[in-house]
Amino acid sequence: MILRLKNQDKDALSYLYDKYGAALFGAAQRIVQDEDVTAEVVQDIFLKIWNKIAMYDSKKGRLFTWMLNLTRNAAIDKIRSKEIKRSAKTDSIDEYVYTIDRQNSTETSVDGIGVRELMDDLVEEQRFVLLKVYFEGFSHSEIADEYDIPLGTVKSRLRSALKHLRNKVQL
Amino acid sequence: MDIKEYIASGILEEYIFDTLSPQERIDVELRLAEYPELREELNAIEESLEGIAMATAIQPPADLKANIMSALVDNLGGLKEESTQQKEAPKVIPMPQTNSGMWRYMVAASLTIALVTSYLAYDYHGKWKSSSDAFAQLQAQNTQMAEQYNQVNNRLDGLVADIDIISDTDFKRVNMGAVDPTQSYAASVYWNAKTDEAYLNIKQLKTLTEEQQYQLWAIVDGVPVDMGVFDFDVEGLMKMKDVQNASMFAVTIEPKGGSVSPTLDLMQVAGAV
Repeated sequence: MILRLKNQDKDALSYLYDKYGAALFGAAQRIVQDEDVTAEVVQDIFLKIWNKIAMYDSKKGRLFTWMLNLTRNAAIDKIRSKEIKRSAKTDSIDEYVYTIDRQNSTETSVDGIGVRELMDDLVEEQRFVLLKVYFEGFSHSEIADEYDIPLGTVKSRLRSALKHLRNKVQL
Repeated sequence: MDIKEYIASGILEEYIFDTLSPQERIDVELRLAEYPELREELNAIEESLEGIAMATAIQPPADLKANIMSALVDNLGGLKEESTQQKEAPKVIPMPQTNSGMWRYMVAASLTIALVTSYLAYDYHGKWKSSSDAFAQLQAQNTQMAEQYNQVNNRLDGLVADIDIISDTDFKRVNMGAVDPTQSYAASVYWNAKTDEAYLNIKQLKTLTEEQQYQLWAIVDGVPVDMGVFDFDVEGLMKMKDVQNASMFAVTIEPKGGSVSPTLDLMQVAGAV
């Protein structure tokens, strides 16, 4: 697959889009909260994947992780460049993630689980850290600084959250 | 190394979310190569992340895919051409040429930077200038407003003082009507018989030339007594000279500065106390 991409095989990219387009769109949409801007971000990302595939190193991790990080970073850059104040939404991050899910309920999720159901049975603290990192692009130390949580605690909460979800979303 | 502890520290999650410093990344990568258990755990975390993304996917707009596919440029073609050129190059072109190629790039880069910088400087100069103009304009407006405010305030102070006099029952208002019955000239004198103070108020008087002024007279025991001169355009109450036992007030037009005795021909208004 990666080899085909590196050989600039358009069918390979088409396949990649069919398989992961919606997942990346979902990730970007929850950060950007605007469908048009999200489409822009996702388009840029696929062009980037196409142009920069040579920079991907399979030894360092899965292709999807690489694509997801590209997408999240691009989406976060987009909202930061639009000067959307981070503080404005910190209070209600759960709310807005869920709101997006409600708004998109007709088109949400390939297999029928939304963010809410997915995260409902997480402990509040774990959910908070996961949402911060995943949807807002906070680094661990930023969370630790801003919310006065010890860095080690941030790390272990994120770890427990992902571990818990691992069972839930078994591929 | 205690692998369990290393995993429990959460550093692999940080690695996956790409929030580590470059040194930390390299360190993690070295350990991943060394310990298969770490690699396995990393895989599992990545899978769960992928699972989350899949579970929370949102169907993109229908035309997005077509847009992306049509925007693709075949980079490989370009790359191939470049690489063949590069292969041929050493055969034909001697080493120094590559250097000059480098130089060319550097000169081009410097020129680009210089151009961009000049443009930015020009652009910012323009922005700075327009904001400094706007600021000066605002300052001028501010000064003007302050002046207007002062004028209004002074006028208001004057009016408040006038009202004090008008509403003081010790002041008697003496209305002076036009001497020429075809005109509607009128003025009044507020006179306090106890303190002898007198104020003049113009209701309507004709406009005078620069060389002329009005003069107020009081008739005391049948003799006109000078009470001072005033311009035709004074507003509000004007303080005049004190007078005792006045039986009548009158206003005449006199040369600027006033006269010793009234020019009776030019008497404009008059009124009895």
